[in-house]
Amino acid sequence: MTTILRDMLSRLRGQMLGWGLALAVLALIVAPLYDTAVQQRAQIEQLLGGLPPEFMALIGNLDRMFSPVGFLDARYFTLLPLLLGVFAAVMGSGLIAADEENGTLDLILAQPISRAQLFAGRLIAFAITLAGICAIGWLGLVIGTRLSTIAIGWIELALPFVSLIGVVLWFGTLALMLSLILPSRRSAAMLTGLVLVVSFFVTTLARLSPNLSRLAVLMPTYYYQGGSALDNFDLGGLVGLLLFSVIFTAIALRRFQRRDIRIAGEGGWRIRRQRFAKQTAHKAPPQ
Amino acid sequence: MTDTAALMTHGLTKSYGDFRALRGVNLEVQRGEIFGFLGPNGSGKTTTIRCLLDLIRPDGGTVRVLGIDPQVNPVAVRARTGYLPGELRVDDRFTVEGALHFFNNLRENKAAWSHIQALANRLELDLKRPIKNLSKGNKQKVGVVQALMHQPELLLLDEPTSGLDPLMQQQVLQAIREAKANGATVFFSSHVLSEVQEIADRVGIIRRGEVVEVATPQALINRSLRRARVQFKQPVDARVLAQLPGVKVLGRQDGTSVQLQIEGDMDQLIKALAALPVNDFETERPSLEEVFLAYYEDHPASKNTARPGGA
Repeated sequence: MTTILRDMLSRLRGQMLGWGLALAVLALIVAPLYDTAVQQRAQIEQLLGGLPPEFMALIGNLDRMFSPVGFLDARYFTLLPLLLGVFAAVMGSGLIAADEENGTLDLILAQPISRAQLFAGRLIAFAITLAGICAIGWLGLVIGTRLSTIAIGWIELALPFVSLIGVVLWFGTLALMLSLILPSRRSAAMLTGLVLVVSFFVTTLARLSPNLSRLAVLMPTYYYQGGSALDNFDLGGLVGLLLFSVIFTAIALRRFQRRDIRIAGEGGWRIRRQRFAKQTAHKAPPQ
Repeated sequence: MTDTAALMTHGLTKSYGDFRALRGVNLEVQRGEIFGFLGPNGSGKTTTIRCLLDLIRPDGGTVRVLGIDPQVNPVAVRARTGYLPGELRVDDRFTVEGALHFFNNLRENKAAWSHIQALANRLELDLKRPIKNLSKGNKQKVGVVQALMHQPELLLLDEPTSGLDPLMQQQVLQAIREAKANGATVFFSSHVLSEVQEIADRVGIIRRGEVVEVATPQALINRSLRRARVQFKQPVDARVLAQLPGVKVLGRQDGTSVQLQIEGDMDQLIKALAALPVNDFETERPSLEEVFLAYYEDHPASKNTARPGGA
């Protein structure tokens, strides 16, 4: 399994650096702006006062926004599940299915490793990569806050990232599970992306509409704390997210262990449609 | 299954939706033999081989590879097997050396690197080149090296010479012979009937998911129809030949020349000709290719069963 883990980590190294540095740079830009925001609070409040409530729902409570925790929440942490959710959808759906669709999995699984070992090695690599991205982002945030008057300890600053890992793992394992159930990797990534966008906007707009609050509690992003984790870390929400990730992982593993390994070109929607067309046209075996 | 069988399938079935890829494949390959598996695209060759490695799960039947059920212990089967897929794809990120290191690492470095280098040299494979820059033939060589490098007990090769030039084909066939000489069993599928005839101890012919014939290449050829042309010194009555069992007169010229089709052995014909003034006698042995095609000519529907990317 260590060979699979090392290989996958080397494949994801670029992703880790790319996404991690993006989060770090964003933190280095955003955190020092806190002092400017506080100094210009009156002008900003006047400006925001004219905006529609739907837009304000996205920004959140203004008093809170001018606190260090609220500022980081609104300006930095709010969008992270959406950004890293895309990473999770793409990477999670490709952990197994990408190699299967391009035909390289056949030769790997012809070596003396079990499907469970391959699955575990790749999932662990994904989790390590995600942790690495968050660690680089956290480092950027620690440095960024030191460049401002934000006085939050470096350990506390890690808590929103822990919550972030929980929600991104949820989407990553969902994408992995779907990639082993649906006929193509692309459809799994698209469906996960759809769930991500719906979840994000329902959670955000639930601040506006009480009717949406009932629906929002069903969304994974509802349990992502963002900057709120700096005030009061919700371990229960995190455990809930991780529990679902475990369930998705268990279903994905069971499915992977029981199904056929496809060879390149098999399994896509396009081919399935072609088969259907030929079957209906000629009543002949599929090509 | 006999004690010496390297692999055995009994009643192996596999369907993809309505398409029945395998319809009860029965095979037994003895340890130490080279077994050629013949069939056109879509006949079930690749599906059978992938069942042997637990890459796909049969719907029914029994499989034993080196005495092991691949569904129960696939890792043990793969540890003792070298596999070359029919549609070889190797990760483009690697160099040849990197890919072979990766596969060897998965085998806990069972293959000595010097042996890998020797195999690569023999196939004129540049270890430093990136996989993405390799031609189809050179990628095939990577597949051949990774299948052979750990000197497995059993080689499962799905069209091993596909994409190779004639010189390299001979090198691969020689490597297969050497593997056999070292005690390995070789099970390989092929379209190239001449190479099967050249190296296989036995041949299995699969048609529409069923093994329809298993025999030595020579037995298959001997068993089939052959043609003869007899030239006589003077006109003779050829009716005596037409009355022989298994002999059919296809044509005659001036009573001095006849074309015959003979099924079975030639003993009776030779004895009959001994009493006639024979000037010249020629027989044509069918190639394995003709024998193979004969199995399919009677079943044209079998030509229309191909699945994408495999058999």
